[in-house]
Amino acid sequence: MKHRRRIAITGLGMVTPNGNDAPSSWAALQAGRSGVGLIRSFDASGFSTQIGAEVKDFDPHAAIGDSKRLKYACRSHGFALAAATEALQDAGICPEPATSSRWGCSVGAGMMAMPFHELQAVHAVSAPDGEFNPDALWSQGYSADPVAFCRNQSNAGIALLAQHFGIRGYATAVHTACASGGQALGTALKLMRRGVVDYMLAGGYDSMLNPIGLSAFCLLGALSPDNDQPERASRPFDATRNGFVLGEGAGFLVLEDWEAATARGARIYAELAGDGNSLSSYRITDSPPDGDGPIQAMQQALRDAEATCEDVDYVNAHGTSTLMNDRSECAALRAVMGSHIDTVAVSSTKSCMGHLIAAAGAVEAGVCALAIRDGIAPCNANLAELDPDCAVNIIRGQSQSRPIRMAMSNSLGFGGSNSCLVFRHPDEVKAIREREGRR
Amino acid sequence: MSARPRVVFTGMGAVCGAGLSVREIWESVLAGRSAVQPLRRWNAQHWPVGIAAELHGVNNRTLVEDRKLHKMLSRTDLLGLYAAGQAIRHSGVVEHRQGLSPEETARFNDRSGVFAGSGGGTYQCNYDFFPLLTNAKGSMQVFGAEVANTVNPMWLLRNLPNNVLCHVGIGHGFKGTNGCITNQCISGVAAVAEAANAIREGEADRATVVGHDAAIDAETLVNFERVGLLAREALRPFDTDRDGTVLGEGAAAFMLETLDAAQARGATVAGEFLGSGSTTEATGVLDIRPDGGGLISAIRLALADANLVPGDIGMIVAHANGTVASDASEVTALRAVFPEGIPPVTGFKWALGHTIAASGVLDLALALKALQASVVPGIPTLRSLDPRLAPFPVAAAHRTPRGSTALVICRGFGGMNLAAIVRASAPSIGE
Repeated sequence: MKHRRRIAITGLGMVTPNGNDAPSSWAALQAGRSGVGLIRSFDASGFSTQIGAEVKDFDPHAAIGDSKRLKYACRSHGFALAAATEALQDAGICPEPATSSRWGCSVGAGMMAMPFHELQAVHAVSAPDGEFNPDALWSQGYSADPVAFCRNQSNAGIALLAQHFGIRGYATAVHTACASGGQALGTALKLMRRGVVDYMLAGGYDSMLNPIGLSAFCLLGALSPDNDQPERASRPFDATRNGFVLGEGAGFLVLEDWEAATARGARIYAELAGDGNSLSSYRITDSPPDGDGPIQAMQQALRDAEATCEDVDYVNAHGTSTLMNDRSECAALRAVMGSHIDTVAVSSTKSCMGHLIAAAGAVEAGVCALAIRDGIAPCNANLAELDPDCAVNIIRGQSQSRPIRMAMSNSLGFGGSNSCLVFRHPDEVKAIREREGRR
Repeated sequence: MSARPRVVFTGMGAVCGAGLSVREIWESVLAGRSAVQPLRRWNAQHWPVGIAAELHGVNNRTLVEDRKLHKMLSRTDLLGLYAAGQAIRHSGVVEHRQGLSPEETARFNDRSGVFAGSGGGTYQCNYDFFPLLTNAKGSMQVFGAEVANTVNPMWLLRNLPNNVLCHVGIGHGFKGTNGCITNQCISGVAAVAEAANAIREGEADRATVVGHDAAIDAETLVNFERVGLLAREALRPFDTDRDGTVLGEGAAAFMLETLDAAQARGATVAGEFLGSGSTTEATGVLDIRPDGGGLISAIRLALADANLVPGDIGMIVAHANGTVASDASEVTALRAVFPEGIPPVTGFKWALGHTIAASGVLDLALALKALQASVVPGIPTLRSLDPRLAPFPVAAAHRTPRGSTALVICRGFGGMNLAAIVRASAPSIGE
């Protein structure tokens, strides 16, 4: 069999509604503490949904300490810079002049989002009566701001990350809605296996918690309207679930060649062992009831990792808490794992964290790495009455201590892109290598 | 070395101001016609910059026949789906699938990837909120309460950057590996590179790839002008008087397949994807390294990926966007990579405008046409080569490529560089 490069996760960083770094986010998830509350960053009192999972008390200047750079960063870029800084520090390695071209960057980036105050400014000069008048953009009342223009480019975030950390290799930004973060990590894995780069800073960032983003999801009726019980609103797999909770944040991982990481004595959280990537081709917002699409992604990921479903001890589900997603995902899990699924611990950490959209898959990959390190399957909060159509082994109430040989993370996006990643415990890698060595 | 599958082009589609198919656009370029004209989409009489390469005279139904989809798609999506549909039809894969058994069909679909390079959004899409902002008179409470009565409930779906990816999948039943790249100018060509690599690595047997963008947006134009990137009357790459680029709109698409799969079904092969390389210069959104450093690495990586040396390259499709800094650093980079002499260079943005996320894919399609015709099209807007860039093998007149491979260069905001190498016609020739 051909020798394939093994990829190690050696650093991670997070900015989430539950904490502004990985340790505090992880502690909150283990304790089942919700990061959901009434939206505070703007007056959401008129919206049908007034709750969200906001990042709290985030000070980008304290986290990044480069005011000039931060002028070019919108809210989600600040999260990205902070989470990436944490991941690199955690890994104890960063791009140097001699290695910069061997570093790549792969991100799941949110939709291009014009900050609301900028939209208001354009509205005030060009459309006071509601009708857009292009000529007014050349009026004295309006001055296009080049720095704002830079911030609003589709690749502004990855451009900032590359510049800030001095990354000069392959850089790519993907957007497949809620699957973005997972697909960005899958892309990173492939780039490293192909030898395009030796180190990857890979992750995702997003913030749609603004009047336009909230409007967009309210219009689709996708959000839980449980304004009077924000902490209970996200309840994946519960029979009474009624929509997801919009969140924001960023997650980043540092990926290295396994041998190189071992040689430098790096602490390895887990192996990024396999990636599966498929398209449901069903409907734009609906999930196929039989799990078609996610099934192929999970099967591919296991095959890619040279593993079987019996190796999996924990699944971090996409579990958005919408009626259709959770059913479709459970159908897919059962189709892929058969009766083994009854012994696998399954949870959706969106129950505490909300849905971080383009960042979700990246943060949840970090959660899987931590779950493997600590042997803890984090709980699925707010599950009171299991939906009979979601009959899998959901971790209710408290997080579970159990050795996790392999963890799986699903990210299923609007538009039907499905990403599945699987992660392997370093001891399992050792065991495989010993077996290989004996042969 | 393990034999990785060879990746060939078996279908092509394109649309932009210069035409409604790769052939039309190619003929327009060969005839020296440019789509760059005074802006018509809105009254730009008082604008300091009033030119663009707009697509005119095409209604939404010509682009996407199913009218039910129109309310769920924005202009960039219509363009992308049009080009993708053409490429898929041209390739004949759907007809081929009709002859398969149900099990074979399921496998065929699971092994059919879809990759898109998307502009990621326009300023304009947010303007759907303007009537609401007016009615709300500054009250966020009214804004929130009235949004459902004022804004199209499909607003988000219309503006998803990955719309073309999903509708190509839904429309044709393709369910394989996929991606949607939002990396400004290099999005489309990066999608081609990632699709080709997915096929090489055995993740798919074929992939539909689309690059699409609709950048002619009032606020985008204002901002490009404000940062000094726009030309006044024409896009003149490498010219002494070059003063910027011109925005365009369009899409281009390919069907990529393994050579084996294409031969097995008797498909016509338009060319072969040989390799690619990509780097970032880490210089922020707008700045470009004057020494061409990032581009030099990208081209060398592409040559290595294609297992070629500089002397093997027959012609170059440069990024040639007409801005002072990009053109100059591109010349510097090519000089460094081709010390023995640079093969004939051309570019196509003078005729098509800069179609941003679509530009690299349009350039690849035209590069294949150029190789097939054995013509390096001239650049009629080039009047006098900038003496600071001389000598440099660009010309207003048509020339002949010195071989059957083309290097295509695509560059973008964020100091992104991508170089791709293709070869025309059946790969069995000259093997």
